[in-house]
Parts: sequence; C-alpha cells; structure tokens
Amino acid sequence: MTAPAKTRKPWSDTARGYAMNAPALLALLLLVAYPIGYSFWVSLHRDNLAQPAVRKFIGLDNYLSLVDDPVFLCSLGVSALFVLTVVGATVLLGLAMALVLNETFFGRGVLRSLVLLPWAMPGVVNGLMWRTVFDAKTGALNGLLTDLGWIDEYQAWLSSATGAFLLTAFAQVWNTLPFAVIILLAGLSTIPGELYDAATVDRAGPWQRFREVTLPWLLHPLLIVLILETMNAFRAFDTIYVLTGGGPGDATATVALLTVQRVLSYTDVGLGSAYAWVITLITMVVSVGYVGLLYRRGSFEV
Amino acid sequence: MTAIPLRYRVPWKKILVSVLALVFAAYLVLPFYWIVAMSFMTEADANSLPPQWIPDQPTLENYRAFVDPTAAQALVGGRAVKETPFALGNSLLVATLTALLNLLLAVFAAYSFSRLNFRGSRVLLILYLVTRMVPGVAIIVPFYLLMRQLDLLDTYWALILSYTTFALPVTIWVLKDFFRAVPRELEDAARVDRCGWFRTMWSVVLPISAPGLVAAAVFSFMTAWNEFMFALFLTSTTAAKTMPVIAANFATDINTQFTVMAASGVLAVLPPLVLVLIFQRLIVTGMAAGSVKG
Amino acid sequence: MGLSRRTLLTAAAALPVLAACGRGGGRTGAVRFEGWDYEATLVQQNLDSFGQANPDLRIEYTPITSAQYVRKVVAEFTGDNGPDALYCYDDSLASWAQAGYLQPIDGLPGVDEVYKGLYESNAKAMTYQGKRYGLPYYTDCHGLLYNAELLGRAGISTPPSSLDELEAQALRIKQAGILRYPIGFPAQLSDTWSGWIWTLLYGSGGALFTDDLRPNAANDTAVRDVLAWVRRAATVTKVIDPASLQQTPVPLDNAFMAGQYAFTIGARYAARAFNDPARSKVAGRVKLGYVPSLDGRRLGTAGNTRMYCLAAHTQVKEQAFRLLRYLGGYDERGSPLTARFWFLKRGLGFAFPALERDPEITTALAKFTDPVVYSELAGMAKARNVLAVPWYAEYEHGLQKTVQRLLTDQTDAAEAATALDSGAELLARRYS
Repeated sequence: MTAPAKTRKPWSDTARGYAMNAPALLALLLLVAYPIGYSFWVSLHRDNLAQPAVRKFIGLDNYLSLVDDPVFLCSLGVSALFVLTVVGATVLLGLAMALVLNETFFGRGVLRSLVLLPWAMPGVVNGLMWRTVFDAKTGALNGLLTDLGWIDEYQAWLSSATGAFLLTAFAQVWNTLPFAVIILLAGLSTIPGELYDAATVDRAGPWQRFREVTLPWLLHPLLIVLILETMNAFRAFDTIYVLTGGGPGDATATVALLTVQRVLSYTDVGLGSAYAWVITLITMVVSVGYVGLLYRRGSFEV
Repeated sequence: MTAIPLRYRVPWKKILVSVLALVFAAYLVLPFYWIVAMSFMTEADANSLPPQWIPDQPTLENYRAFVDPTAAQALVGGRAVKETPFALGNSLLVATLTALLNLLLAVFAAYSFSRLNFRGSRVLLILYLVTRMVPGVAIIVPFYLLMRQLDLLDTYWALILSYTTFALPVTIWVLKDFFRAVPRELEDAARVDRCGWFRTMWSVVLPISAPGLVAAAVFSFMTAWNEFMFALFLTSTTAAKTMPVIAANFATDINTQFTVMAASGVLAVLPPLVLVLIFQRLIVTGMAAGSVKG
Repeated sequence: MGLSRRTLLTAAAALPVLAACGRGGGRTGAVRFEGWDYEATLVQQNLDSFGQANPDLRIEYTPITSAQYVRKVVAEFTGDNGPDALYCYDDSLASWAQAGYLQPIDGLPGVDEVYKGLYESNAKAMTYQGKRYGLPYYTDCHGLLYNAELLGRAGISTPPSSLDELEAQALRIKQAGILRYPIGFPAQLSDTWSGWIWTLLYGSGGALFTDDLRPNAANDTAVRDVLAWVRRAATVTKVIDPASLQQTPVPLDNAFMAGQYAFTIGARYAARAFNDPARSKVAGRVKLGYVPSLDGRRLGTAGNTRMYCLAAHTQVKEQAFRLLRYLGGYDERGSPLTARFWFLKRGLGFAFPALERDPEITTALAKFTDPVVYSELAGMAKARNVLAVPWYAEYEHGLQKTVQRLLTDQTDAAEAATALDSGAELLARRYS
C-alpha cells in the first residue's frame, strides 16, 4: 500500500502495481487477515467455548493428537476419495460439456443457459432436491428405474455406505459443474481458429488436435478449475449435511463436515481450527502439485 | 477422417455433438424438473406411487402460501413460508451488491497483474488465493466477533463484506487471465493516442473483456447467493436472512409439506436463473467477440 | 472469549476506518427472548397476552431455526450478544451452565412451588450440579406407536410386550404381504437426540452409563442384547425399514400417517397427529403402547425436557424472570397456564402430574390416546443421566453413528458396545 504520490510523475511499475492492488488488499487485510491469523492462534489452544475455565495454550498438541484420532483419520480417507471422485468427474464432464458447447449446433444458446442452472442452486437446496430424488419411498430415481424396468422394488439408495458415498458425490458434481464449464468454455473460445486450421492442414486427427492445440491452450483455465474445484470439494459440507449428515456410520463424514460439527456443534474451536488448518495445508500442497504438474514443461507464469 | 471422398462423409461429429448435447441437457434439467413438477402437485400426488412425471391435477396452491399470509397461516410451521419473500429480497440485494463491490475491487488488481511486471506480484497473487484456502468455518467465530464489534450483525453489510472477501481472490485470478488475453497492440495504439493507463483500461481493455467481467460478476453473485454458514450466523431476522437459511428451515421445520418445500426451492433458484438467462446472451456474444479478435 | 475480545478491540482500534463505524445502539431495556421456531406464531400470541397483562414490559422475541438453535445461541453468547431469556434443551443444559451462559434460579419467587409439582425426571433434567436452571416448557417420553388395523389384518390383537414378540409380529405382517418393512425408525444422523434407541435401551433396563457416569455399555448385557436385536431385526429378519437411515422424525411421521409402517417408537404426542383425520390417513387406528423389552417387563422409557432459562448476564433479570414465570410457572390460580396452553393447542406433554387430573386435559387426551398408558409412561420415564457431562452432544452423535452401523451390518453388538465405551472415555479425557 504505497501512499499516492503527490506529483503526477509517471510511477514505477511496482508503485503502480501496489497502488492498483490497494483496494483489494485493504479489504482483505481489514476483513479476513485478522480472523485467519486468529484461527491459527486458536488452533494452538485447548479452547472449547463451552468450557472457558480450562482454556490454555498447548502448542501443537491439537495437531499431534490428530495422528492417532481414528475418526479424523477415517475422515481424511473419505475426503481424499470424495475430492478425487468429485474433481475427476467435474473436470472430465466439464471439459466434455465445454467442448460440446464450443461447437455449433441447434439449441446451443439454450444449453449454454441450462448449464448455469445448477450454479443457481444453494448447496442446502441442492441437498434437499437430491434428497427428494433419491428418496426411498417416493423418490424420482426409484420411480424412473422402475418405469424403465431396471429394478423391481424401490431401493433405499442412501442406506448403504457405497451408495451414500457415490450419490453424495454425484449431487456435489451436479452442483459445482457450471463453474468448470464456464471457465473452460471461456478458455476454449479464445483459441485462435488458425491454430486448428494449421493442425488440420498437418493432417492431425481430432485427438491429436485436442492434445496439441486445445489442451496446452487450456492449461491456465484448467489450473483455476482444478484448484477451485479441489478447494470446493474439500470443504463441501452443506450438500452432504442435508443428504446424509455424514452417514451411514462414517461413510460420508468428510473432514469439512467434521470441522463444521466440531466448531459449531461442539463449540470446540481449538481442535476445530486445527482441523481447518489441516484442510488449508492440504489444499495448498495439492495446489502446488497442480501447478508443478501443469507447468512442468513451460515456465510458470501466473 | 482420412481419405474418404467428401461426398460419402457421414457427419459423425455433428451427430455426436447433438447426442451429447441432449444427454447433457437431460442431466442438467431432469433433477430440477422433478422439484418444479412437485411444486405444482398436491401433497397426495407428490407422494403417489408410481410418481407422476406430469402433475395429474396441477395446482398453484404451494405458491399461494408465499404471497397470501392467511394461506401461510394454515400451514403448520408456516414461518419459513412467511419469511421467504423477505429472504428473496435480501438475497437479491446482497448478491448484487457483492458482485458490484467485488468487481470494483478486483478490476484494478487484476489489471495490474496482467500488465505490470512488479516486484512481488507473484507472491501477492498467490497470497490472494491462500486467503481463500482457509475454510470459512475456521474464521466464522472471529468474523462474527468482528461484525459484532462493528455493530453490523443482522445487516446486509456483514454478508456483503464477508462474501466480497470470499469471491475477491477468485475474481482477480479469473479477470487477470481475461485481461491478459487482450492483445497489447490495442493498448499500445491507445497509448499512442496519449491515453493514461486508466483511460486505456477503461475504454480498451474492459470493453473487450466484457465476457470476463460478466463471468466474474456472475461468479461473485452466485457465491453470495449460495452461501449458507455465514448467513446463518450473521443474520437472525428478516432484516438480513437470505434464502439458503430459509431453505434450511424447510429441511427441519417441524411439519412442512414436501410440495411447499419444492416450491421454495424453485423460488430460491429462479432469480439467479433469470439473471443468468439475461446475461447468457452477453456472455455468448462477448465470448464470440473475444475469440474473433485473433 | 475475554482474551479474544480484547485482542479484537485492539485490532479494531488500530483500524481507524473500522473504529469510526464503532458500536452504535445497545440494550434498550427490552427483554430479549429467544427460542427455536416451533409454532412461532402461537408463541407470539402467548407473549402478546402476557404483554397485555404487563404493559410495563417489552419483549423482543426472536425465533431461531430449530436445527441451528444450539449453534446460534452459542455464537451469540460468545459474542456477548445473547438473549435475556431463552429456551433450552435438557441436552444442552450442562454445557451451557458450565460455559456460564445461564444463571441458577434457586430461591427466585415461585421456583420451589413449581419444582414441588413436577415429575421427578423433569425436575432432575433441569437441575445441574445441585442447582436449578429451568422452568418447564414441555416434556415428553416415548412409547410404542402401532397401527392397530394393520396388526389386525395379520391376525394380531394385542401389541407386543417383548422385543422378540415385536419382531415376530412384524415378520407376520411382512410375510402376510401387508408391508415390506413393518417397523420404521428415524435413524438419520441428526443434532437432536435419537429418542427411539434410548427408549429401547431404557425399556429393557439397559444403562449406557453407571450412576457415577462411567461408560457401561460393554458390561451391561441388556445393552448388548438390545443392540443385537436392532441389528438382527434390520439385517436378518429385515423387519426394520432400511430407509430408516435416511429418515428424520418428520418424514417418518408422514410415512406412518400414510400407513407405511405398523410400528414405530415415538413421542407420546405423535399419537395426536397420527389420529388427526385432517392430517393422517390412519387416523383413529393408531394406539400408544408400552415399550417392548427384552423380557416383556415394563422397565422404563426415555423422556426429554425442554425448559425456559435465564441468561447469566442479563441486565433485566427481574423482568426476564417475570416472563419465565408466566411461561413455565403457575398463574394466580396456581395452575401452569402455558403448559395447559401447549397441551390443548398442540398436545405437547406437560411436566406437572396434577394436570392429569384436570378434566379439560383428560377429555382432550382421551380423544387421541389411552390416558392410562399415557400417564403410566410419564411415571416410568427417565432422563438420560449422561446429560450431565459437557461432551454429551458429541457422544450422542457417536451413538447415532454406531446405531447406523448396526442397521447396515457394519458392526455387531459386542463391538458396538465396546466402541461406545471407548468413545466415551476418549471424550471424557478430551474434555477433562
């Protein structure tokens, strides 16, 4: 935050850069820098809001206790699988949709609008919607599969561990897909047509054209999509909360769900913040991993 | 696609694209269609087996409760119903103001990253994203205390401020890419015309990046529209409660009808959907313009 | 949060922009009253009539979504922004009292009289470490709710008294092709207590904790046998609906009222809705019975208590307590006015045995259930003793998960009992 200079002399790039970042930086500093620092500080404490008498500084004990906390470790596994499933499906499906939407076909404008529909749905509503779809007694999924003759009797889809996990991931993907599609579509639409023309002249097949023209051009948007969808999937809790509450047993109890429960239901902000910082750390490591993976060949230019 | 003479070529690609488009459309629409259909059913029809894909006796009764207080009164636990119109208004206001404030703050920062090579720019850019990597639940307690200190609890501003900080990092990242895609020659031309950087940005870069701006605005609008946890904690009355909070009420209220809940779900989605439909043209035409530029 | 608030003030003071906004407003002398949003309109009506009799008082009533009530209240107290008077679940009392949100009401006018007139289990549920914290809002206990017509169609005329009988009757109904799954429970994970499992345990005399609150599940054969029954009925004879896992109480009630279940374990007041022709397809056929037990004896049932409490740091103590007395105490005729109001309006259970002899109440009661069973259940109801520990909420969640594992055959009774105990020990250590 450089103070604005009084003279109208041309500024150095650095001064101008910081001046232009001042509004955003100021907003973040004033509003979240303190809460973020504070949450880390709290994670070094034993601090349950309901037990003010026993609050004390315990260093890294909260973090160390996680190593042999079976529930937490189990949730890490669930989260890893959940993120992998959701991000994988979102990127593949999103890319497929973006590629289709980038073609010309009858009704493209309509589909481009429809693709935004799930985005307009708050996570809670998304959870409620899928609950009515997956319902064991009156659900649309049961009705549809019975009408098609694929099942004889209505099933309680969310009652098995695998079923609950897959369907929750499915509901989550539906909800977060639009963001991936938009970003990828925007990326696709900036690819200069000449590149394809050149590739076609070189007799490149569709797959080759995709690999050599489309994919490299999409690295930037793909990186954003990967980072953000990973972050989203990692901290998703409202859809899961409404659909299964983490059950059956621990089948859909992700770290994010556990963190929300720990902080908000059990008011254990000390340990809960430690959970949250583990999420933060993992997200950072994964993001760095993405950057490394996607930019191994070229130079990393943000 | 090798040496087949042109006249025999089956348009495989066109067929594939159309089929995929249909599949995708079904995937996107069907789940939503189900709650739309339910919202026009009577409770009995909604629970009937096999399910009615098209309501036998379509009714507007479920929606009437939202506008007619006496109809809401008749529902057990009708408070969520009565609060819905207020919540819709609050959501709309909060999301719109968040989108605007967010753009205002992000445009300059994003522009600086796309055009200036300044010391620490990469660190700064990554720092923005890092603020977003801390889950909201970690900061909700201190943020609550902060808002309490500022006496902003149960006001729009608590929500607008928090959502702006959520959306800001992503907006900056998205916009910087759009700005970067604007060819520098155009700007150089403007500079030859002795425009300052602000004029250049305003009259050259921003118009060309319109789709990016719209996408960023839609993104922050949706972030604000969909957020649940902060809304739950920072608001307590119809003065600032937003739609997701009301939706959660429907999930748990002692005795709400499924069909009324479906209607509220439809209402929760409708306003952003309408906005998206309006802006969709802009996004599409803007994108086309963006890709033509070469 | 004393420390944090101080830090915060310093931080805020360092930021002139923020400090300029400052703290406006402040307390206005009104009594701030908060509760979960059950029938908020009726509550407001009731408060209005209190307001007319007490024109010097101003009540600001804020209903809060029931599922989020506990979290919201904790956030408010943490932010030093709590109400003056509020609802409280017996589940939360220990932790809220310990956190210093509430103040004891011993010795305040009228409290002794009210406590003298309560069922023992209710009085116990509102007392923490020897101090009284609440006046009763409502209470209820669970019983067996069954659809007598469906039982009749399978040739069953008397309700089951033992769990084996329950299973056998359900199997008969299942095999007669009347219902695929005759028993339904609300077994989705939730923030509120899982009443049905506590009821089955107490019904057979099982105790998850000893009187001095040591984990006892693995030592108690009754606990293990009840858990084993749950698993068997769900996964071997398959009479418990697997959809139970995705049902909260409201959808369960709806399914029952649609005739989809023959048996469930539920609160007594559910019988009122189930037998209400305006809401239920099975109205008039639903009966309330005793809790089936391992050996057929009637050993108890689980009850819960919801109460009105007084905030520790209220600045309008006298006014707030006047409101509490109106809501949870006796009127000038010595009758619990609000408890009557709730029973007559909505069938919510009352904590006062004397009301059972009130002719208006018995007439209303007879309309939806057998008054004898109703009051005998209240007499044998127990409050969960583990409510006295501050980690109860966390334990309850673990219990519900364990039950889900039993229902889905992911664990067996012995393993489940051991897991419950070790979970409780871990929590006790973590909170000690």
